[in-house]
Amino acid sequence: MKKLFALILAVAMILTVANFALAEDLPVITIMFHGSNVTDDTAVLEAVNAYIADKVGAKLEVVWGTWGDFDEKATNALTSGDSSIDMVFTCSWSSDEYNTYAKKGYFVKLDDLIAEYGADLVAAIPESLMQAATIEGAEGMGIYAVNGFKDTATQNTWDVNVTLLEELGYTLDDFKAMSFYDFGDLFAKAKEVKGDSFYPFLVEPMVLERMVTGSIIVAGDSGATNLLSLYLNQEDVSAEGPYGNVLLNKFATEEYRKFVEQMHIYYEAGYIDPSLAVAETSNDTRTNAQKSGEYLIGTQSYALGYEHQASEERGIHVEFVPCTAPYVDTTASQGAMMAISTASEHPVESFKFLALLNSDPYLMTLMNYGVEGIHYTLNADGLVEFTDERANYSPWTNGMGNVTILPDTAAEGAGFREAFKAYYAEAKAIPSLGFVFNNEEVTNEMAALGTVAAQYALALDAGALDPETALPEFLAALDDAGMQTYLDAANAQLAAYMAAK
Amino acid sequence: MRKSKGQSATLNTFGPGAQAAFHAVLGLFALLCIVPFVFVIIISFTSEDSIRQIGYSFTPLSWSTQAYTYVFQLGGALWRSYFNSFLITFVGTSLSVIICILYSYPLYRRDFRYRGFFNFLSFFTMIFGGGLVPTFVVCKTLLGLSDNYAALIVPMLFSPFNVIVMRTFFQTTVPRELIEASTIDGAGEYRTLIQVVLPVVKPGIATIALLNALAFWNEWFLSLLYLTKNMDVMPLQYLLMRMQRNADFLAKNAGMLGADAAKAARNLPSQSLKMALVVFIVVPIACAYPFFQRYVVAGLTIGSVKG
Repeated sequence: MKKLFALILAVAMILTVANFALAEDLPVITIMFHGSNVTDDTAVLEAVNAYIADKVGAKLEVVWGTWGDFDEKATNALTSGDSSIDMVFTCSWSSDEYNTYAKKGYFVKLDDLIAEYGADLVAAIPESLMQAATIEGAEGMGIYAVNGFKDTATQNTWDVNVTLLEELGYTLDDFKAMSFYDFGDLFAKAKEVKGDSFYPFLVEPMVLERMVTGSIIVAGDSGATNLLSLYLNQEDVSAEGPYGNVLLNKFATEEYRKFVEQMHIYYEAGYIDPSLAVAETSNDTRTNAQKSGEYLIGTQSYALGYEHQASEERGIHVEFVPCTAPYVDTTASQGAMMAISTASEHPVESFKFLALLNSDPYLMTLMNYGVEGIHYTLNADGLVEFTDERANYSPWTNGMGNVTILPDTAAEGAGFREAFKAYYAEAKAIPSLGFVFNNEEVTNEMAALGTVAAQYALALDAGALDPETALPEFLAALDDAGMQTYLDAANAQLAAYMAAK
Repeated sequence: MRKSKGQSATLNTFGPGAQAAFHAVLGLFALLCIVPFVFVIIISFTSEDSIRQIGYSFTPLSWSTQAYTYVFQLGGALWRSYFNSFLITFVGTSLSVIICILYSYPLYRRDFRYRGFFNFLSFFTMIFGGGLVPTFVVCKTLLGLSDNYAALIVPMLFSPFNVIVMRTFFQTTVPRELIEASTIDGAGEYRTLIQVVLPVVKPGIATIALLNALAFWNEWFLSLLYLTKNMDVMPLQYLLMRMQRNADFLAKNAGMLGADAAKAARNLPSQSLKMALVVFIVVPIACAYPFFQRYVVAGLTIGSVKG
């Protein structure tokens, strides 16, 4: 027994020594992504590590966070000071919310690193994105994450099944001339032609509400169900809206009442699938109906070029008809960022890597699309065509950083990235860009309000509840839960922000 | 004792009407237990088109084995995680049962001086937990529990609840005389425990083994926390849970993610595939139940001192 024990100890010691001998290699930096679908990254990491060994002086490892597990993994790694995670995805809507976590000191302030190593990065990313990332963090005003250059503007559109629309005897121009309040005849016709079990209006109720009333998401507002509305100026998004820079109780406005009343009419007429009004089934129903092209009009938060992909996938002709001009708000301009954890032992190497990833087309293509010859091939026109191997390596493209330096894919067509850049470069910023509601002082109210809103909002937005009776009930319940306190706190902060701006 | 016909009809029995009522209630209850599972099996064999058109239904429009074909095509990854689930459950249950017995037995022995302290030590953790982040720090940084099987087993090895169940079981089924008798007969502590006490508490062991096996088999949260780079040790439950959580997340954040969410939703597995995986998960544990059940039922009725 003693001999065995001694033997184990001896082996353990030898292993430890061997470990130290290996550790003289390059330092390992680890990056954690969001929304990945990656099962085999061996070939990619081999190529990446061969490429960055000299340029960055480190070896890369990747944690491929998925949509479902990223929030837990990221918040645990950051709050526990886990030094094995160096770089982590952050944004205005994830659990490791950029503004909050920067304020709490989980992210390294990058200004000095940018000054020293970031010349290429600064050249590759528009000034406006750098500004959007400049916030008041734990170490004062500065940049706490590298902001990804992607579809940085929000634009809500009608998702139109043109194939069916034309079958019904309408043209796309006819549709463009209609407003939300005159869809009735169109839906009635669709119902007549396609039968009673067909639901023409396939909506994302909460998105539709913003589209119709012309309001936007306020960064820092209650997540699952937004409570606050900021009304846009529909003519010119960079000008003040009808109510000025004031946040409103989303459900108490005249616009909202008018919207839900109309929705209830559509719902009662059988134009909307009842399962869209239930949180658990809403998304599945929508995805399924979209996949099979079983709808007439839907809603879509737009990204340039999506109509080609949607048409191809659904086997119908899809067009997206804009509801508003694209606008840049805080949510969109902090939509995908990459921060360095303060627990990291290699912040310099990590930053060098992020700078390279966002400015070097070869590295970005490798990380995002995989290895040429394995995950994709280039066709005669030099466009990317994915192979079957891509299924094992599909990171979330927009979550990685500067996607404008990626090559065009065959599905997107030549010149897509240039058009993409130009499209979003033209987008105007809303007056209160950069404002994030810091809800720390009203977390109790927010939780209570969120519960109340979860009970009514979706069903009202989808038209399933009669606003005549449900809306007053809802508003009273919100008042009881402290809506006014919540609203006052948000407006005081916005006023202070606008004054400082 | 000789039973006469007349006696058996009156002793411990009810009239036929009451019998029928009880049977109906219990039968209904049994049906309620089995129906969800039958439903899951039906959905797993339902074609996607049918789900798209009429949703989940006991009588789908068309049948399909597509989900199972897809599951078998998953190949290596699936069988690997299936194997992991079995391995984790087997090793975890064995170790946790041993630990539970070795901890609760001294707590039952009145001659153990530090009973109060160890009782408190285990009981205390039932009321006050360390919290998620501190636990994570201890497990990952201090104990190195990440990306390995140990990370999925060690954090669940000790359950204070099971210790209390087991201790109580010792107290109620093992009379002190038994220990004294074996001591007088010259048995040492280990022999007393293994050869005298353990055979008596088999039903108790079966109960906590079942509880532990279920806990290990259904565990996915540890995988979510501690598996980051090495997905080879992932159990089947986490594979399924990840699909579910991805779908939930995209549903919740569709508004924020816009077109990205719609694109990602395309890659989600079908409804029938999810149900097929549920079938894979439920079947082994459902098969294990009857074996444990014998002891569990026995535990309700027997004692060591007869007569």
